[in-house]
Amino acid sequence: MAPRLFTRRRDGRVEVRLSAEGRAFVGASAREVVAAERDAGHEWGAALSAPIDPSRDADDPLAVLSRQSGFTSNAELVLATLEEAALTDAEAWAWFCTLQVALRSIAVANGLLDDDAWNARGGALVEHVQTIQALLFELAKVL
Amino acid sequence: MNVRRASTERELGESGSVVTERPWNVVVWNDPVTPMAVVVVVFRRIFGYPEATCTHLMLTVHHEGRAVVWSGGRERAESYCVKLQVAGLQSTVEQAS
Repeated sequence: MAPRLFTRRRDGRVEVRLSAEGRAFVGASAREVVAAERDAGHEWGAALSAPIDPSRDADDPLAVLSRQSGFTSNAELVLATLEEAALTDAEAWAWFCTLQVALRSIAVANGLLDDDAWNARGGALVEHVQTIQALLFELAKVL
Repeated sequence: MNVRRASTERELGESGSVVTERPWNVVVWNDPVTPMAVVVVVFRRIFGYPEATCTHLMLTVHHEGRAVVWSGGRERAESYCVKLQVAGLQSTVEQAS
């Protein structure tokens, strides 16, 4: 059964009610983002290194560095706060961004780039994607 | 000063009007897995747009496959593009035609 997340704003923080299984799921997604950033051959690499300006042969190195830093710091913040019951706004945003990056990376790695490809897939992959989407919906309510 | 005059002349078109560089657009592309609510939240957090504007842009992405979400100088466009990519949206920059 897919983990369910409950969130609400309380005393300026984002309360996160999530089972141990759900936290393990979020942690696995964040660890995968960190791993993909460190390994150029990772299957999520194509999503994480998408061009910023397709009209140029190579993107501005500073922009690329800024993007790498953003992915990694968000994912590491998720791992550092994985067991927290209440998150700051910045921590909740890091959870949100990391899960969305994981979602898009899975889509790119599995060729789910249009509705036909998405509708043709099924099984564990779809269940995994739907779990991330459900977590994102819940986080979106408080951001 | 000669340098300044030369620079000023380069910036004037034949009609005498000031020639400015075409702006850079930040483009967000559609994908079938990202929830609509996620896109709206990302636009609101990154650009600070009102909810209605975010929803309109999200629907443009959804129906037309892409939307220009910001236009302006190249550096800021790239900065916004990176922020959108870090938030997990497919985004690119392009110079306005």
